[in-house]
Amino acid sequence: MAIAHKDPKLPPPEPIPEGPEWIEELGPFASVGETLAVLARTLCPHDSLPERCYRRVVRAQDRIAAETQALGVTVRDFCALLDSRMPLPFAELSESYRVNILKTLENEPAFIFLQRSTVRFLYDDVEVWEAFGYEGASVHLGGYIHRGFDDLDWLPNPPSGD
Amino acid sequence: MTAHYQLDDDGVVVIIGSGAGGGTLANELAQKGIDVVLLEAGPHLTADDFVNDEWGGYEMLSWLDKRTSSGNWRVAKDHPTAPSWSCKVVGGTTVHWSACCYRLIEDEMRARTVYGDVPGASLIDWPITLADLEPYYDKAEAKMGVTRTHGLPALPPNNNFKVMYAGAKALGYDSVSTGRHAINSVPYDGRPATIEDGFTITGDKVGSRWSTLNVEIPRGLATGKLELRAECCAVQIEHDAAGKASAVVYVDAGGMTRRQKARAVVLAGNCVESSRLLLYSTSALFPNGLANGWGHVGRHYLRHIIQTVWSIFDKPVNMHRGEIMIGMLDEFAHHDPSRGFAGGYYVELNSMGLPTTAAFLDPGWWGRDFASVMEQYANMAGIFMSGEDMPQPDNRITLTDDVDTYGVPVANIHYDEHDNDLKMRSHGYKTLSGIHKAAGAKRSIEAPAYPASHNLGSNRMSARAEDGVLDGHGRAHEVANLFVCDGSQFATGGACNPTLTIVALAIRQADFIAKEMAGGAL
Repeated sequence: MAIAHKDPKLPPPEPIPEGPEWIEELGPFASVGETLAVLARTLCPHDSLPERCYRRVVRAQDRIAAETQALGVTVRDFCALLDSRMPLPFAELSESYRVNILKTLENEPAFIFLQRSTVRFLYDDVEVWEAFGYEGASVHLGGYIHRGFDDLDWLPNPPSGD
Repeated sequence: MTAHYQLDDDGVVVIIGSGAGGGTLANELAQKGIDVVLLEAGPHLTADDFVNDEWGGYEMLSWLDKRTSSGNWRVAKDHPTAPSWSCKVVGGTTVHWSACCYRLIEDEMRARTVYGDVPGASLIDWPITLADLEPYYDKAEAKMGVTRTHGLPALPPNNNFKVMYAGAKALGYDSVSTGRHAINSVPYDGRPATIEDGFTITGDKVGSRWSTLNVEIPRGLATGKLELRAECCAVQIEHDAAGKASAVVYVDAGGMTRRQKARAVVLAGNCVESSRLLLYSTSALFPNGLANGWGHVGRHYLRHIIQTVWSIFDKPVNMHRGEIMIGMLDEFAHHDPSRGFAGGYYVELNSMGLPTTAAFLDPGWWGRDFASVMEQYANMAGIFMSGEDMPQPDNRITLTDDVDTYGVPVANIHYDEHDNDLKMRSHGYKTLSGIHKAAGAKRSIEAPAYPASHNLGSNRMSARAEDGVLDGHGRAHEVANLFVCDGSQFATGGACNPTLTIVALAIRQADFIAKEMAGGAL
């Protein structure tokens, strides 16, 4: 577990409610928030990550959709399609069923948006950085010159000057 | 003593674009006492504005105006509206670059002669030789403070390099070194040594890396001969009745359309913008676009064979710590027909933070396997190649029916991979993975090319007017006072990262422009 830093010039991460009320803060995706969170976890399944990481992805997707009305409609229709494929809603299906459904829809514009934006936002989250060992911003801490830029010790050191 | 020129002052050289070519040329001309107006579409940011944040930096610096793409290159599928990657900011893409500084080699500048007739390729020899460029390479390396040149020490090995070094040495690639970079290993020219922060590509807050933003432009401004106009986007180049460039029409920060008269005009807006401007500058005299009588403007577009292999090791690497691309081996840089393809490639280092590793590892990849790779980020190393791609006449920049906010047609970039390109890609992936395997990698992922950052060739120089757009000084064959000073002037791509060559060509072009002016020819 690393300690990660967001650049101090950028706004700090916004908290997201731990309870079901996180859905209420959504705009165009309020009706499909839970489906999208399950979708994000299906696309990038990290068992160690708490639910809030995936909820933050949905919040970021929701903000994009708030600026593009057509996108909101496309994604809500896509969620309806996901729910129609099996006798249970997508969010209640076990993982292999969810994966099989998504594999048939990879060329859908809504899928492309959701997959790319899940990757875009999930791995740009300081909590995820810490989970996977990325330390982030460094100049305000003096860079890595005294913080391990050359501390790899399981291979021989190259001669200096090389 | 800030220069300020009137719009109707027809004694100024107008340069469009402030990156490696335009920013360097502006300073070089100003140092010689020549009046220069430098137009830059993007804002004038400072080190304080930059952030240590991959997506934050990308969104702050990148040229994000819409483009489209077509062809069988993977970029058209993965990044259809952003196929090319350059910066829209004072300093251009030198604000983003990772500072690799390698020279073209002699064979590359005689590609048609040395490689022969490669079917489907539109290879030519450069109209200039390596000997013509060498004195300017020396000057460029001195002004940029390139490590391992002019007595400047090498950059120290970082974690990611240790992996590359171990693998390369095990395979007998003895040329492996930390390479040559315009990043200070020791204080030089008023700039500090690197603190190994790992954020060169989001603007370099420290200033240890050369850029036109932190070196050339301030020095040019200090002469009192250079006027920088930021947030001024050129939309058209005009000519007079005699067919000489006479003015540049641009839209300023307030949205007003202006017309700056000019003694000479230089395009340095990176391949796509420079070709787009020429194609859009049509007239009765130049119905197919300015300087496009032979139809080569926008054609022969090159973007190098660029790709990365990311490998996972049993133990931590922490590749994000330290300078990004400080590793190089040149065993494959020379043309060697026994490999089954023309041209060569350099093996270099690459590292990314978690956000962009995830985005570029294999766009569209999802599920348990992808997630398990991402979870091992701390144990991941990156290795990269830059190789020569084959020019093809139909790999080109064209204008679409869609228009931007200024009414200028949006550019499309079409690129089909040549068989030679695919052979080199396959060979290169094997080399890159082989090096990591020799260092103990347990898994390697062949990542595809990301949006093209080495954009070259689309206004190429040629000995004969019918083969290209420009002469050996980057001057249009058909317009005596019109120049190009970016990577689009390359006759062929060579293998190495192009910035050092762009800077050397800019210094050489400044000498030529000054001589022509002094002689009354310009």
